[in-house]
Amino acid sequence: MGGMMLQVENLHAGYGGAKILRGVSFDLAAGEVLVLLGRNGAGKSTTIKALMGLLRPTAGRVRLDGADIAGWEPHRIARAGLGWVPEERRVFPELTVAENLEVGRRAPADGRAPWTPERLFALFPNLADLRQRPGARISGGEQQMVAIARTLMGNPRVLLLDEPGEGLAPVIVDLMAEAILALKREGATVLLAEQSLAFASRVADRAVILETGRIVWDGAIDALLADTGARAKHLQV
Amino acid sequence: MDLIFLQLLTGLAGASTLFLVAAGLTVIFGVTRVVNFSHGSLYMLGAFIAWSLLSRLPREPEYFVLGVLGAAVATAAIGAVLEVVLLRRIYRAPELLQLLATFGVVLVVQDVALWIWGAVDLSLSRPRWLRGAVEIAGLRFPFYDLVLIVVGPAVLGGLLLLFHRTRWGLLVRAATQDRDMVAALGVDQRVLFTSVFALGAGLAGLGGALALPQGSANLNMDLSVIAEAFVVVVVGGMGSLGGAFLAALLIGVLQAFGIALVPKITLVLVFLVMAAVLVVRPHGLLGKPQAMARGEVEALAPIRQAGPALQLLGAVALVLAILAPFVAGPYLLSVLTEAAVAVLFAASLHVMMGPGGMASFGHAAWFGVGAYAAAFAAKGLGAEMAVGLLLAPFAAGGLALLVGAFVVRMSGVYLAMLTLAFAQIAWAVAFQWVEVTGGDNGVLGVWPDSWAADKPTMYWLALLLCVGGALVLRRALFAPFGFALRATRDSALRAEAIGLDAHRLRLAAFVLAGAGAGLSGAVFAYAKGSVFPTYMAIPHSVDALVMVLLGGVQTMAGPVVGAVTFTVLQSWLLMGDFWRIKLGLLIIALVLAFPTGIAGAAAAAWDRWRGRAA
Repeated sequence: MGGMMLQVENLHAGYGGAKILRGVSFDLAAGEVLVLLGRNGAGKSTTIKALMGLLRPTAGRVRLDGADIAGWEPHRIARAGLGWVPEERRVFPELTVAENLEVGRRAPADGRAPWTPERLFALFPNLADLRQRPGARISGGEQQMVAIARTLMGNPRVLLLDEPGEGLAPVIVDLMAEAILALKREGATVLLAEQSLAFASRVADRAVILETGRIVWDGAIDALLADTGARAKHLQV
Repeated sequence: MDLIFLQLLTGLAGASTLFLVAAGLTVIFGVTRVVNFSHGSLYMLGAFIAWSLLSRLPREPEYFVLGVLGAAVATAAIGAVLEVVLLRRIYRAPELLQLLATFGVVLVVQDVALWIWGAVDLSLSRPRWLRGAVEIAGLRFPFYDLVLIVVGPAVLGGLLLLFHRTRWGLLVRAATQDRDMVAALGVDQRVLFTSVFALGAGLAGLGGALALPQGSANLNMDLSVIAEAFVVVVVGGMGSLGGAFLAALLIGVLQAFGIALVPKITLVLVFLVMAAVLVVRPHGLLGKPQAMARGEVEALAPIRQAGPALQLLGAVALVLAILAPFVAGPYLLSVLTEAAVAVLFAASLHVMMGPGGMASFGHAAWFGVGAYAAAFAAKGLGAEMAVGLLLAPFAAGGLALLVGAFVVRMSGVYLAMLTLAFAQIAWAVAFQWVEVTGGDNGVLGVWPDSWAADKPTMYWLALLLCVGGALVLRRALFAPFGFALRATRDSALRAEAIGLDAHRLRLAAFVLAGAGAGLSGAVFAYAKGSVFPTYMAIPHSVDALVMVLLGGVQTMAGPVVGAVTFTVLQSWLLMGDFWRIKLGLLIIALVLAFPTGIAGAAAAAWDRWRGRAA
């Protein structure tokens, strides 16, 4: 593990008058998989959107490898190295799978070997046969894979994954977990927003728990699994 | 046989330039979701610039090509500037405001073109090679028609290659489907949007330049081509290039044969074809249902009943209005009469726009139908004024029922474009059907009965009918009908789920709005003593929109405030030379500064003030 890749300090954001994030702070080390846990409405997706610039933070700092990217426009943040995979996947419905990947293509900022469609089809073998299929005509699980692959084509330094297993069949969820583990072996830095502790515990190194817009727990995932009190207090419905 | 062939050829040639304009419009709409009203102006600029270039260049074919391409590039550059200066600021604004702002550009460009090139039609003296004919299978085909016929498919092919074989095209197609996602993948939308707009503008400019040798560059081409381009784009399916091509062929050929066979009803024919296509395929020949663009649904503040303070203010204003003839001179009185007419005209548009959620760009059609109905009653039947005043709302409402039956199926920009197209056709009928309407000379001598002949009486009558009409409309909006209408606007699906018939409600609002505008038109006809086709022209429809916008769409007092303000503005500020540029800049400034209108801004300020006081 290297130094700190992403440092979030006292992030505030909301929609109109509704304040959702009230001072979110956490760090993400290079090569680490950090899971952002919390109940429905705790602010997981909002955190991700605020990091990505889709929602303008009202206060706080976001340092990506030292540079403060808070308040930048989404395309600049993406170029700086944050890669976002939205919860709703947002695959371009009328573009083929191959074209979807092409839209994401961007040369890596550092000297790493770039992702290519071939390497991504090796990571998600299901997609290899669907290259010419329009985005609207593949299954939800396949769309999730396309969404991740499309973002990886931009060679992000930090991957923001918003509930990649949501609404998918258990067998596809397993594939997602394996893909994340494969990325981790390649040294990827991942921030995962997730409701399911079971899924998180398979892939994450560390966890932070959001509750009403603040971080209320921060530690190793194993420590969280051992801490029944914290789980009952912050995660159980 | 020869004639049919030649006519077909003319049609196909016309279809090519029409396709170029429509393709630009549809490409711009696809990515930016803006219906660019000023697209016709870019076409016009293309023709003028081409004239300036070609009349100076040598008359050889290679210089002709150079001049035409130069005009297209110059128009593209103008489009890029337009996008950066104006369009960029209104991408998130409601559709109606985008249409209005770009109409402001239409007005500005008209005066700029008038200033640069003058009011005279500029035609190109065509070199010999351009006038020649080619002999194929014993038939002589005009050479330039053949050139145009080749250009259309060539440009279509080029565009398809551009969109499907280049990275830029891929990004444009992706942005058409989800522009925010494209940005999140690291693409600078501004560069993409500006380049798309420049491409669309360049296509319009190319169309204008290519149309020049067969016609002339003149100040009327902008509005006539935009109405046709709207029809083509709607018939073809918004955002579909192939659809635009097919529709342009259909409309172009139809027009060519129409002009040869039944010149008077060509435009009506076009409208009927459009109606037929849309009944069978509501999204056009090759169009798909519009996906709801992300993040653009905004909740509208509910319309409130006026509080006691505002009601008192209204009553005072009404008393002042009634007393006005005792102090006002004849000129002021005629301005006030116009203001009273404008109040009903704007209030009737407001019914469908605000609570109905249907922005019409052709509201002047109903005003004009009412005015012509009154003229017909007075001159054709020799009837009393009462007959004309009674006939007008029924004539306008009846026609609105007919047109509305399929127009109200559409929503958003489709509806705006269809109402505009219909109004343009109504205008053309009034303009061309000289035997009945007197054409451009209008119908003169539509005078009120002798008892209402003096100015104050006519003013009081106008006040009674127009303010009374506006109050009736207001009453309807606070009746269960009004609530149901607003429910339908906010969510047609939910409204239908609780048993409301969305289609009938929208149609009722459409007819009500048409009837109201018809009455205002009849009052206007008697007050002025004459009726002209300009009553139905696009600028008059836009006047109504500006009034409502000026006042604010989501307030009841809005149209009244807007109508009076606009009439006063028009009478003093917007007279004389270059009134278009003034009005155009006013509209643009309004859209940028007060997207909720004067009354809307005042209501918000009032709420803030009360919130602080409480």
